[in-house]
Order: sequence, then C-alpha cells, then structure tokens
Amino acid sequence: MTNAISLETKPLSSTVATLKGSLTQAFDSKLSNESTIVVNPTPTYNSQPQRLADFDTLTSALEYAATGTTGYNFYDAKGNLRSTLPYRVLKQNARVSARRLLGLGLAIGDRIAIVADTTPEFIELFFACRYAGLIPFAMPLPVNLGSHAVYVQQLRGILEGSQANVALANADYINFLGEAAEGLQRLRWVGTPEQLEKLPAPDKTLQSNHPDETAYLQYTSGSTRTPRGVIITERAVMSNLQGIVRNGMGMHSGDRIASWLPFYHDMGLVGMLMTPLVTQVSVDYLATRDFAIRPLQWLRLISRNRCTVAFSQPFGLKLCTLRVRDSDLKDLDLSCWRVAGIGAEMIRPDTLRDFAEKFAPAGFNINAFLPCYGLAESTLAVTFSNTGHGFQSLRVDAAALIDKKIAVRLQADGRKYTEFVNCGRPLPGHTVKVADDAGQELPDLRVGSVLVHGTSIMTGYFNSPEETKNALQPGNWLDTGDLGFLFEGNLYITGRRTDVIIVNGRNIRAQDVEELAEQQPEVRSREASAFSITDANDIMTIVLVIECRLTSVADRQSLTSRLQRLVYMAFGVNCLVELVSPHTLPRTSSGKLSRFAARKGFIQRTDLTDQLSVESRDR
Amino acid sequence: MAHDYNNILQKLCHHIGRFASSGIEIVPESDLINQLAIDSVKLLNLVMEIEDEFDISVPINVLADVQTVRDLADLIHKIKSAS
Repeated sequence: MTNAISLETKPLSSTVATLKGSLTQAFDSKLSNESTIVVNPTPTYNSQPQRLADFDTLTSALEYAATGTTGYNFYDAKGNLRSTLPYRVLKQNARVSARRLLGLGLAIGDRIAIVADTTPEFIELFFACRYAGLIPFAMPLPVNLGSHAVYVQQLRGILEGSQANVALANADYINFLGEAAEGLQRLRWVGTPEQLEKLPAPDKTLQSNHPDETAYLQYTSGSTRTPRGVIITERAVMSNLQGIVRNGMGMHSGDRIASWLPFYHDMGLVGMLMTPLVTQVSVDYLATRDFAIRPLQWLRLISRNRCTVAFSQPFGLKLCTLRVRDSDLKDLDLSCWRVAGIGAEMIRPDTLRDFAEKFAPAGFNINAFLPCYGLAESTLAVTFSNTGHGFQSLRVDAAALIDKKIAVRLQADGRKYTEFVNCGRPLPGHTVKVADDAGQELPDLRVGSVLVHGTSIMTGYFNSPEETKNALQPGNWLDTGDLGFLFEGNLYITGRRTDVIIVNGRNIRAQDVEELAEQQPEVRSREASAFSITDANDIMTIVLVIECRLTSVADRQSLTSRLQRLVYMAFGVNCLVELVSPHTLPRTSSGKLSRFAARKGFIQRTDLTDQLSVESRDR
Repeated sequence: MAHDYNNILQKLCHHIGRFASSGIEIVPESDLINQLAIDSVKLLNLVMEIEDEFDISVPINVLADVQTVRDLADLIHKIKSAS
C-alpha cells in the first residue's frame, strides 16, 4: 500500500472514528473556528426579513445573510452535528482568508482550485476567493477502490486546464493534490486550509465584485477527456438563483434544506450551497460518502430537522429505495418534505414511483417530487415543473419515436411505449427550443436537439475557444447536447445526442441498448456502454462494451452471443460485443458513463483509429 | 498485535464472502474488484458492515489505495490502532 494513509502524522481526519466518545471529543482542531462545541444547529426561522436572491453578487448576498442567525450545519456519518457555519461567521472568516490569499501575491482573476469535501473550510475558501476577486472552482473527490492513479491524473488535468495559481485540499486529500501538482510551474502555493490559516493576513482593502466578472468555474470533466471549465459570471449565477428560488422551488420563510450532494457538482454547489445563502435559509449537510454508505441518514436529517427541501439525482433515490430497511421506516416522518427535487440525469418514472411507494408509510408525499432540467453550462437550472404537483409523464409510442422522431402519445394499450418525465417550463429570462440537425426549430412533440437561450448561460469554457464555439451557437443559443421535445410549453428529455445511434435512418437510443444488456443477470446497471462505429464502407455497427466479471470462456461466450441475439431481436441490427474488466469504462465526475470516452477507448483497443473523427460527442 | 491482525483478516474475509462471487476462495492477495467482483454498490454495503463490525469509520480517501483483501485488512488495522 502506498502512502495515502497518514493517520500518524496528522490529527485524525474528520471521517475517522473519533465519534464514539462525547461530542467534545468529536472535534478536531481544524473544524473549530470560533465555537468549539456545537450543541445546536442554526435555526430554521431567521431574525431578519427574507430576501429572495435579489442581490447583484454572491458577496452582497452573503453580507445580507450575515446579519441574520441562519447558516450551514455539518453532520457526521452517525447523524451527530459536527460543526456549524452561520452566515455571520462565514463572512468574517472568508474576509480574513481573502486577505491571506491576496498576501500570496495573486492578481484579480487568478484561479484557485479547491478539492471539494463537504466541510466548512470549502465554503469559507470559496467566498474568500470572491471577496479577493479571485476565481474559485471545486475539484472532485476520488470515488473508487484503487483509483489513486486515475484520480491524480484527473486532478492534474483540471489544474492544467484551469491554469490554477493556488490549490487547496484538506488533510485527507492533500497527498493526492501534491502528486497532481508536481512540476506545475504556474502554481504558486499548494496546501491545506490549516496551512493557509498560518499565513499572514495583510491589511488589504477588499473590492466589491462586479456583476460582469467571473464568479467561478464549474468543471464538468469526463475521466479521460480534457476537462472543461464552464465560466459563470456573477450576473449569470444570480439570475439563475433568482429563478431557482422564486419560480423553481418557491422558497419561503420556514424552509430548511438537507443535502448530501457533493460541492463539486453544480446541483450541490449552486443548488444546495448558494440557494440557502441567497435566501438566508439554514441547511443541513451530510457528506456524499456518508450518504452513499447509509442513505437512511439523509432521510433522518430531513425527518429530525423538519427539512422542507432536498434534491437528489435519481440514483440517490434508488440507493434509498434499495438500502433503507423497512424496519427503519417507523422512525421517519417525511411529511415535512415539500420539495423533493430530481435532476442531473435522465429521470425514469419507475425510480420515482418505487421511492414514493417505499416511503409513503413514512409520510412521504408523492406530490413533493419536483423534476427539473439543467446543466452546468446554464449555471444549473433551465426548467422546473410546478411545486406541489408531483411528477407528470407522457407515454409515447416507441416505434414512432425511433422511426419518425415523433413523440406520439399512446392511444391504445398493448403497443410498446417509452415513458418520459415532464421537466417543466423554462425559468423567466430563458427560452428553450428544439431543433433538427439543420438547426431548424421543430414543432411540439418532434424530437430534436435541445437549445437554451437566456440570462444564466455560461460565457464559455475556460481557455477552450474551440469547445466554446461548438457549444454556443450564433445568437448565443446553448446547444445542450441533449435530445428532447416540447409539449404544451413543457420540456421532455429523451436522451443525450451521443446517446442516439442512427442506423438506416432510424434513431435508436443507446440507453435502450444498454438497458437490454443490464437486464441480463451477469450485467450490472451502469456497467454497459453502447455506441456506434462506421467502417470505411459507411456501414454502421452498434458496439456494446460490457464490464464483465465472468472468467470461464463458455460463460463469456454465452453472454456475448445472447446479447447479440437480443439486440438483433430488439432493434434489427447487428451488434459487436466487447467484454472488458471492471472499471474500464470511463466515467464523468458525476459518475455517469461517458459514451464518447467509451467509444474512443474501444477504437483505440481495436486499432480503428480512423474512426476518431466521427461526429459523436458528449459532454 | 499479530493476533489482532489475524482476527481482523478472518472477520473481514467472512464479510467479503457475503458479497463476493460464490465459489471463489478468498485469500489476502485476492483482488477485490477483478477477482471478487466487489462493485460500487457492494462496496458501499461492505464498508457499512466493516464499520459496524469493527466500530470504525473508513475514510473515502484511503479506499483509493485499496485493491486487495490484505490492503483492506491493513487499513482496518491501522484505523483501529489509531483510534
């Protein structure tokens, strides 16, 4: 084993078992800023009138929030409150750290990389950067067994792409960061928040931010591609936040948020870190890792603190449905949960139904579901459905969808159908259109590329003019890379464009091919990737790459030929099956499979390099 | 100390056995991903059981350096000794 375990050389990490004793023992020095003993979380009801995101900049939002009593609360894996960060304290600490950062000799607009663990320090550093006129961005945490090398490579890619000037990680991740930063000339300083705290804080005046300046970068890397840093201005983020809190969630006094979403994900950063701040609402955090291991803790937080707003990807809901025991339900009261936001990946109606059914006995109201659609390139949110109405869906004829790219509402029972969730209407200041490959706008129920125009669209990708030109079309229409249709003003997402395999003029959703594979007992979900390749004679073939643990030749052969048979039966096309060892398929920072990267990997393995120029891409 | 370690290894193998592909012998050198087929969802369950069994908390950062059963046993031993 290599050197990443440094338990001897530092205070026990926040996640290591220090929690068996009394609460006071549970605090290690680095978590304590002003208060050392945390007894109570910040209150739900504030001492000041609520303002709903009517601020010019993030720091002006913080200045107002700091006059109240609400703030951030951090819980450990066992559900104990570990620390709080009231907005009042955040403002003070961030302003001091801002001067420390400026003391490093940085210039306005320099980039500050922060490995984004769910800690008070991350939030303090983020706002310190804003006070100092610096551009912060969050970097991901490692997620897999044995992923040390891949993770270091991922960090390095982001550090290089962002031309970061300073990089920070807490004690748990500083070794990885150190390795990633080795030899990077531009980095002036690499360290932990504790080390930064030891630096002098020179007496510098902090300038207020301008709405047109860059607020932060949002990295949306795939694991093998060059990561892309979305540039978001203060104006864009404030515009998006205003839409989210007023029109999306309908935030009001008495709301309280619970979240396990990572801060390096746009839904975690904008949705669950900035949203509470700009509405002066308290929020209760559980680290992503702690949620993943014990999803029940998230529901307990909601139940115990009477939280009203909590968002998740569909996958998080699945974890809850799968892993919470029925015997735990009696201790939960989820009737307070009025906004159960769902986004960030394709929403399957069954995921929502299963969750609602499982947690109905605990008071979960199916009408709390709030499907929404968005992407980092539009800060976070584009469309929201209506609060309090649950999810609506549309069943459309599967054959017409594939053959004619039209969503025909199902008239008779017995026909094969695909069901899509209604993601709602665009936020004010935003327009969504669906266009064909030639860029022509399509009428209702016709499937095409989803394009977005509006006030929260990114300025571009950092230092990537080529990528920016691909994503931002004339008139500043953002090409989302997603496919969908509009119906009565509402958006329905049907897949990603790379997710579509066009064979003989027919649209086949890659997802459908993958699902077919995943129905086999030997194949697990999220371990199949489908895409297409074209040979020199323009013959298109579907490729299905499967992460496979079978060792016997006979078993492998049986799976391969069964899959080929099934794909042929379902879609009438031949299919190439490749079995690879687990963890071969590239994933994005949010854990989704990247078909673009999977395809690239396949082409490299099979030496079909002339394929690399073909149109397919994802983001 | 050696006794503690063997005890940890034995208990750990018992837990892994509940998740690993059946019919595969679990030895310290076994690769958790490639040989024992511990995928990400199984891993979450396994970590939960380990935490309950040994009354520890396993930080996510150290899992990035775990590939074999022995790596995991070493890790548990290290965390237990430090607590």
